[in-house]
Amino acid sequence: MKNSSWIRAMFEEGEKLKKKHGVENIFDFSLGNPITEPPEILKEELIRVASSHAQGMHRYMTNSGYDDVREEIAHYLVETTGLPYSKDHIVMTVGAAGGLNVVFKSILDPGDEVIVPCPFFVEFMFYISNHGGAMKLVDTKDDFHLDIDKIKAAITKKTKAILINSPHNPTGVVYNEEELRELAALLRERSQKGQRIYIIADEAYRKIIYNGTRLPNLANLYEDTVTVTCHSKDLGLAGERIGYIAMSPHIKNVRSLIDATIFANRILGFINAPAIMQRVVAKFQRNSVDIMDYQKKRDAIYNVLVESGFEVVKPQGAFYIFPKSPIPDDVQFVKTMLQHHILTVPGVGFGKPGYFRLAYCVNMDVIEKSRPYFKEVGELLRNGREQ
Amino acid sequence: MIISHEMDQLIKDQEGWTRRMFEEGIRIKKLYGLDAVYDFSLGNPDTEPPETLRKALIDMLSSPEIGTHRYMSNNGYEDVRQDIADYLREVHGVPFTAGHIFMTVGCAGGLNVILKSMLNPGDEVIVPTPFFWEFKNYINNFGGVTRFVETKEDFQLDIGNIEAAITKQTKAILINSPNNPTGAVYNEESLRQLAGLLNTKREQGQEIYIITDDAYKKLVYDNIKLPNVFKMYDLVLSVTSHSKDLALAGERIGYVAISPNIKDLDLLVSAMTISIRVLGFVNAPALFQRVAGKFQRTSVSIADYEKKRDALYAILMEAGLECVKPQGAFYMFPKSPIPDELEFVRTLQQEERIMVVPGRGFGRAGYFRIAYCLPMEKILGAREGFLRIGDRYYRGGK
Repeated sequence: MKNSSWIRAMFEEGEKLKKKHGVENIFDFSLGNPITEPPEILKEELIRVASSHAQGMHRYMTNSGYDDVREEIAHYLVETTGLPYSKDHIVMTVGAAGGLNVVFKSILDPGDEVIVPCPFFVEFMFYISNHGGAMKLVDTKDDFHLDIDKIKAAITKKTKAILINSPHNPTGVVYNEEELRELAALLRERSQKGQRIYIIADEAYRKIIYNGTRLPNLANLYEDTVTVTCHSKDLGLAGERIGYIAMSPHIKNVRSLIDATIFANRILGFINAPAIMQRVVAKFQRNSVDIMDYQKKRDAIYNVLVESGFEVVKPQGAFYIFPKSPIPDDVQFVKTMLQHHILTVPGVGFGKPGYFRLAYCVNMDVIEKSRPYFKEVGELLRNGREQ
Repeated sequence: MIISHEMDQLIKDQEGWTRRMFEEGIRIKKLYGLDAVYDFSLGNPDTEPPETLRKALIDMLSSPEIGTHRYMSNNGYEDVRQDIADYLREVHGVPFTAGHIFMTVGCAGGLNVILKSMLNPGDEVIVPTPFFWEFKNYINNFGGVTRFVETKEDFQLDIGNIEAAITKQTKAILINSPNNPTGAVYNEESLRQLAGLLNTKREQGQEIYIITDDAYKKLVYDNIKLPNVFKMYDLVLSVTSHSKDLALAGERIGYVAISPNIKDLDLLVSAMTISIRVLGFVNAPALFQRVAGKFQRTSVSIADYEKKRDALYAILMEAGLECVKPQGAFYMFPKSPIPDELEFVRTLQQEERIMVVPGRGFGRAGYFRIAYCLPMEKILGAREGFLRIGDRYYRGGK
């Protein structure tokens, strides 16, 4: 519990400020809870499904999820990847967080290691340790792209998987095809020596990607790839907890992995993904919330930060941006920002002190109105430096 | 190996006979057609949610509030928890508030969240047997050790056995009443004795929690009332779901009710908040939280279940089987006419196309479980098969 207590402290600090100055005067960039609503046609479909008089709409189904739902998702994956996915390769899950826990429960023995590029979404640490695994953090480059040499150096006999989250939380980086090819080559060397290392791709943000960037498909680059995704962000259904695991058809003996994930889904207490949402998302694999809207917000917040003098890598996806803290102590800096009514999360919360994270899944006017406050902080720091 | 050794072992533990049984079941269904097969093996109720619930769901979706499908706090919507607390206050007469309610992904999710929050490796949880097999997996998920304790002949708690099983490592006792697989409802007296025993331990400095799995709490018959454990003992956590009482099994909605007499409420809720997050549930599904809040006082027809119980029990008696008459849930747990119940279950399946689960799947060989959450026609349709099998084992030799 101690590990996350300071995030809570930040949250509570923010609540106090909101009470004091009014919610509209606090610019809360601390939470990755998108305000975007599901597409209108999805809401209509939901009513249609709920109105159905068909029997058994809310009963248990097989633990992996409805056959026809998995069939539709497999079709979509065949279309987008060219790989021969069938419904058997899909297990419906309680979101991506549920999916990752299921995968780790299925593959990890106590002491097995999972490589995680850093900075990283701090929950990964728990998902791994829940099932006796050990997380090995590996720093990324200055632009937050993969450092293949460092990954190579981190691999041991105990390495069971590498967890790739792209588009990335907290940096918004999208790994390019070249670096992923290098990663695949590196892992293939190990598998030729008899050590199979999975790539676990957390693609929760896969549709939130800008300027026509294409997300390289990991399953096409590497055989032992397990993809985990959810519809929290692309369909605005975070609270409904719906996602899935897709196991590459090229994984050898994939059947035993499929069986293990279905079993883990049961014994971890998920049992199955929520029934009604399974039916709905099956039909919306090709849809998403308005990505241009996110791109405009990305541009706006990026401009605000650059104008205010912050050093920042321009993100290509997700709805996070991860600027450098002007002073080495990011916690101190986040506290300073708080005094200027801006709520953010210090980089230390993502394993990378000296940075801070902004989640810009907020209304555009929050970003616009925050501009003078960012400038204020920027000024302050410049003056501070001159003194 | 592609999967972990631990997972491999867990799968092997449950496979063997379940897998064979399952595959044989599929074969028989194909061979004879679904109509000619009587599948009493699954606790997946065929009941539909109340019509008023379906209407409320449509209403809710037709006038959507902004933000309905977003994340909320990990323990669930405040107003939903308030509605549930109001209901529980009424039923139990103890001062529940919204803060004592924690929305979960069904009962299975709730149990995992509690166990993750409470257990240190090596901590023991006492489970009366026969028992729902998944309990063992849930406890094992977090390094806990399950201590099985036999119940009496009538499947009521054996307090002497429980006392003997308590060690310094005992952290909790997991009580499932109405019970799966026996349908037994633990009586007031045995629960009072249990509370007395645990209070003695408490005075000696050991705090042992009662975790009640109340998934079947509304499915009780013969006008009996489920004893109020919250009034008997302070350290009680009740886990429930709406899989059975509102027939929403596939939607994964339930909650944990924490006794207002537990002093460390804030600490426990903080731990559960982290557990529900890190285990990947994050929160109970948003839409059905709202439904659950409004339907605490509603349930599917209990009278229907009671009629099915009566019909099946009458058939078993007519067939000469030995069975404790259940007072709740939708299970019956008769004695197998021969000691090897696996053999008996196989015969029942092959000769009479009646599918049930061997007792060893619940930690009690020599018995078998019948799940009667089926249409009445199916129950009545299986009568002849049961009678023939009764003849064969009980009268045939005479």
